[in-house]
Amino acid sequence: MTDPVHVDPLVTETADRLFSEICGHEAVQLAETRGEAPEIWNAFADTGFPWVSIDEAAGGSGGSLLDALEVLRVVGYHAAPIPAAETGILGGWLLASSGQELPAGIVTVVPNGGSELRGSVSGDELTVSGRALRVPWARVAERIVVPLEVDGQTVVASIDVEDCHVEPMTNMAGEPRDTVDFDEVHVPVAPTESGIDLEAFRFRGALSRAALMAGAIEKMSQLTVSYTNDRVQFGRPVAKFQAVQQHLVWGAQDAALARMVAETAAREANRGAAQFEIAAAKLIANQAAARATKACHQAHGAMGMTQEYPLHHLSRRLWSWRKEYGGDAEWTKWLGKVAVSQGADQLYPLITGGSANFN
Amino acid sequence: MSELSEEQIRAELDLILERRNADTRLTTMGAGSDDLNEGRSYLANTVNGGWHVPTWPEEHGGQDASASHNARIGRVLREFVVPDLYPFAIGLGMVGPALLTHGNSAQQREWLKPIASGESIWCQMFSEPEAGSDLANVALSAQQDGEEWIVGGQKTWTSRAMWADWAICLARTDPGQPKHKGLTMFALPMSLDGVEIRPLMQMNRDAHFSEVFVDGARVLDRWRIGDIGEGWRVAMTVLAHERAGGGSRGGGDGNARGLKLPSWIVDLQGLANEQSGAWRNQVANLYAHDATSRWTSQRAADEARSSGSPGPAGSGAKLRSVKSYKGRSYLTNMTSGAHGMLEDGHGYIETMTAPSMSIRGGTDEIQRNILGERVLGLPGEPRLDRDVPWSESRRGLI
Ligand SMILES: Cc1cc2nc3c(=O)[nH]c(=O)nc-3n(C[C@H](O)[C@H](O)[C@H](O)COP(=O)(O)OP(=O)(O)OC[C@H]3O[C@@H](n4cnc5c(N)ncnc54)[C@H](O)[C@@H]3O)c2cc1C
Repeated sequence: MTDPVHVDPLVTETADRLFSEICGHEAVQLAETRGEAPEIWNAFADTGFPWVSIDEAAGGSGGSLLDALEVLRVVGYHAAPIPAAETGILGGWLLASSGQELPAGIVTVVPNGGSELRGSVSGDELTVSGRALRVPWARVAERIVVPLEVDGQTVVASIDVEDCHVEPMTNMAGEPRDTVDFDEVHVPVAPTESGIDLEAFRFRGALSRAALMAGAIEKMSQLTVSYTNDRVQFGRPVAKFQAVQQHLVWGAQDAALARMVAETAAREANRGAAQFEIAAAKLIANQAAARATKACHQAHGAMGMTQEYPLHHLSRRLWSWRKEYGGDAEWTKWLGKVAVSQGADQLYPLITGGSANFN
Repeated sequence: MSELSEEQIRAELDLILERRNADTRLTTMGAGSDDLNEGRSYLANTVNGGWHVPTWPEEHGGQDASASHNARIGRVLREFVVPDLYPFAIGLGMVGPALLTHGNSAQQREWLKPIASGESIWCQMFSEPEAGSDLANVALSAQQDGEEWIVGGQKTWTSRAMWADWAICLARTDPGQPKHKGLTMFALPMSLDGVEIRPLMQMNRDAHFSEVFVDGARVLDRWRIGDIGEGWRVAMTVLAHERAGGGSRGGGDGNARGLKLPSWIVDLQGLANEQSGAWRNQVANLYAHDATSRWTSQRAADEARSSGSPGPAGSGAKLRSVKSYKGRSYLTNMTSGAHGMLEDGHGYIETMTAPSMSIRGGTDEIQRNILGERVLGLPGEPRLDRDVPWSESRRGLI
């Protein structure tokens, strides 16, 4: 186990080196055409990265949640077209916390919101029916993990993808977000450990997206600085125009902001209660993504609109992630409700102390 | 034709066009279908009455309409089905008006009517890899050889090139002159030997945008538009029309008669499962922006028609219409929630197209530079290369 409050620098270095080698512009573009990226996934899986933060005893790779989120940040930075969060800190976590086996291959998870699923328990059998929407990479997954609330308890269904019907659909980034139909699929009942329920899953989903987004915004900002320093118009690099510099500053500010909130939320989540930090991190990442994509596209001119240039791999992912596990309205409302429920005198302690300070 | 009332115009249009109902929706510029037929048959239907380009001379497919009559026709046209005219927009909105200013009468006779009738499609070959905002830096060269010009070089981001019969093409004819001076404008048939088109894919998967490589193509001198060395002036006219939005008549998303709400608000209402105060505020802001923007553009267009050519006001119009488009697509996509990130989601294409609106036709920054200098009279940008021969200034940073 690494020190839980610090990311093991080897994690960042190894993940970054891996993706730098195998996840360049062409590879990401190709994954979009094919709807999968087996080479990238296999190399990633070989390192054990997908299962970081899951106990070795449960079949994981060990390490802290902080390490796992750092891996996700690097995944986002390289726009890696793989279900890293789904297999690890979301699906893998749900499986491990319901005492189920981790499969060797890709795992995906039905995200919160939108889906209409029914579960019923009879004896030690759980039956799942209905339609799940926007399931990441379902078409290439080995198992689909479905968290459900049945008769007041949270259960986790681990469903063989062969037992359901997958209808391909893609998000703005050209990544699979499939529609999955379950028609009376039977699996063993597997209740979760206490404290792990749909609400906890929703927050963990938001945390995963905040980490991915922080990475993507950072890369986008770096690309923009380097492009505008190379691009010459009117006899000088366009980065010399103040109007362009303003875009560069927005991009850099938002990269720093998104990374800071994602890391704060990760640290708190690693420690314990972190709802306030996660909600704030996702909302801030959403807003930073909107501003930064706008600024970075504008500074690139027409070049950024072409598929030949990599900016769109990042911007389109950011627009999609912004909508997953809670859009702006959802988290704004949640934060507003919490602030109001704590009362005026508790507002400042809430902001400075975060989740540890509210009841 | 004498000036008709709205009632009379409506009666005439009823003979040739279908009325639009509230459900007719627009496609997104350039990200629509590849179907040229709908636009073509609409233009063929309207050309004899001069209904689509009323201000053009009657012999060229217009009806010599005054600015006010033109505006009246525009209002009535909104009640009818007007297909997406994106493929035809360069000819109708930019090249046509520029030919009326800079073309000779033979050129007007040859090119205007086929533009108005939808028979010929034009594209705009201005931008090059090294000439985006700095358009005067074009390098594509044209060298005179008797009655012909030999043309070579590369253009890029040429929308509609694969459909086009003709291009309006800015070329360098005298590299020894400072960059704005040695340019000349040509019409270039896309079918000419030595013209090769390579499609570029945009991130919204639109492939209507290309690189065009020209190698030894022979362009006739009678296809030259304006005098030798006057290319920059012609280009400015074309761009002023582009910015003023001349190409976008038709399919306007305004209020059809009897319809209180614009269709985008009707759509939004259908999407919103909760119409909070914050949401209403955004809708109303956008509606107000659109309305004032439409009136301002109308006033600028009227001024432009009476003065003969659009001025810098077009830059303001462009900035406003971009803001409308972006605001609308943003709100639609946000309102549609997580579903909006899917290929079949509301506002999906618009979200991925929105950034390009602030780039195509001159970036927002360039429009503001124009407004700053030409409307507000602020000090100009430093222009280090103004009096340097282009052949020297292009060699490096100065
Ligand atoms: C969808 C689309 C369709 C297009 N269709 C056509 C077409 O049909 N025909 C055609 O000829 N061209 C077309 N273009 C090209 C378009 O005209 C250029 O993209 C535009 O002029 C900007 O040039 P650029 O992309 O090279 O950006 P650049 O000039 O490289 O600009 C990069 C950034 O620098 C900023 N900048 C540059 N100079 C200044 C300055 N002086 N002050 C402040 N900021 C500055 C810009 O605003 C921008 O933010 C199209 C572009 C797009 C996106």
